[in-house]
Amino acid sequence: MTGVRLHPFTLLTIAAVLPALAWILPAPDGAAATLVVALVLTLTPGAKLTPGASPGNASLWSFPGWRPGLVRLRTAVVTAAPFWLFLLLLHDVPTTIAIGLRVTTMVATFVWLVAALDPARLVEAMVAAGWSASVAYLLAATFSAVPVLKARAQRIVEAQRCRGLSPRGGIPARLRALRALALPLVLSALHEVDERALALETRGLVPGIRRTPLAPPPDPAAERAARWALLLVCLVALVRRFIVQPFS
Amino acid sequence: MKSLTLDRASFWYAATQSPALRAVSLDVAQGEVVALVGALGAGASTLLLVAADLAPRVIGGRLEGSMTRRDRSGIVLPTPWTQISGMAFTVWDEVAFGPANLGWPTHEIARQVNRALERLELLPLASRDPATLSGGELQRVIIAAILAMDPGLVLFDEPAAELDAAGAAMLWQLIRVLAREGKAVLLATSAVDALPDVADRVVWLEDGAVRAVGTPDLLADGAACDAGLGTSIATVWRAGGLPAPYPLTVAHAVRGRP
Repeated sequence: MTGVRLHPFTLLTIAAVLPALAWILPAPDGAAATLVVALVLTLTPGAKLTPGASPGNASLWSFPGWRPGLVRLRTAVVTAAPFWLFLLLLHDVPTTIAIGLRVTTMVATFVWLVAALDPARLVEAMVAAGWSASVAYLLAATFSAVPVLKARAQRIVEAQRCRGLSPRGGIPARLRALRALALPLVLSALHEVDERALALETRGLVPGIRRTPLAPPPDPAAERAARWALLLVCLVALVRRFIVQPFS
Repeated sequence: MKSLTLDRASFWYAATQSPALRAVSLDVAQGEVVALVGALGAGASTLLLVAADLAPRVIGGRLEGSMTRRDRSGIVLPTPWTQISGMAFTVWDEVAFGPANLGWPTHEIARQVNRALERLELLPLASRDPATLSGGELQRVIIAAILAMDPGLVLFDEPAAELDAAGAAMLWQLIRVLAREGKAVLLATSAVDALPDVADRVVWLEDGAVRAVGTPDLLADGAACDAGLGTSIATVWRAGGLPAPYPLTVAHAVRGRP
């Protein structure tokens, strides 16, 4: 997928089908397979090798293009880790593995989607497909909110550090740091929502508008076919799982 | 021809007892620049929200009296980073966001966007990611984004707050150009030193009500100086114990005329 820009609908289809398959296919094999695909996907967006270089002749970390992918992979794993802990507390090992693989697939797929999906292209694609611009914006804003909030949280942490609050140390210190992060993050986000709503209103983003698509992303027939094929695979797996050959 | 008319407009924010605007009557004609001045909380920003038809329609609250607009309006709010669409990865696309929402044909969008970028001296930044711009650059992008929608009534809330001296000077000149083109401009600013060259009329708001309306000479008035709304030279003149009338601008002081 390196260097390839898939249509936003294709990205959304992959992001919907992978977790669906993780839950439909029998665990642990099926769920493990979808997880492998999801984890590989987290490495792909922007993972471009420097011309002439390859991972075989130098350390992986020496290729700046791989770093974002590795960071995404780490984010997915770290985000999913607490779920494994809770599952282990609540279930036996086989069930923990079965559900944990599925949950990790969902997390990894979402992490990949947030990185791979350009909200502006999604809006353009949805508008070109006849969707309402405000509905398209609402959906796209959901994805763009993650990196925006992440950047803001980073700024707040840095500001709190300048004021002597360390986010490191024992659990009490970390909880204090979390409180000092969460409150300004939530309050500033709520304040910004108000102003952004006014700004979007004055810039014409109102219900019922017919927005002009500026640069609708190309949607080749092959991609459209691939999307339908993915949905068909999902449907077939569902039928097989619950009707033809129910698993235990 | 009047672009905006407020007739005894009073406005209450939601869940508040006292009005933020009290029986404000005001006209802004096409080709006219009207400046709103006043202390913090005087009601200038609220008046702009009412004029933009955002209050109470979007933010809630209650409006008594009437607000009538002849033209479509565009409002520039004071914090540029909350006004970017978040849907554009270049300055050009950010400026085109509004015109595209109006459903204009692409050639008209391109024409208006390029014109607005040129006016705000943003063409060299057209391919930059808005997230990488400074506050002043981003403010110019937002102003360009509003102007690209070709509003007949342009509302500015502290438009120079993020701009450096050169950027502010460019903006004040641009506002005069907009007025010459027939646009109505309503401007809330604390940069009173610029107003003698920019505004045709000054409206002094106090506690949500209009205290005085007049030419920019109002800003050399003793009462305005006492309220912290006098121009710098008038305030210095008064603080130095020199006799009234006070000069409005440095040029006036140099020429020895108030």
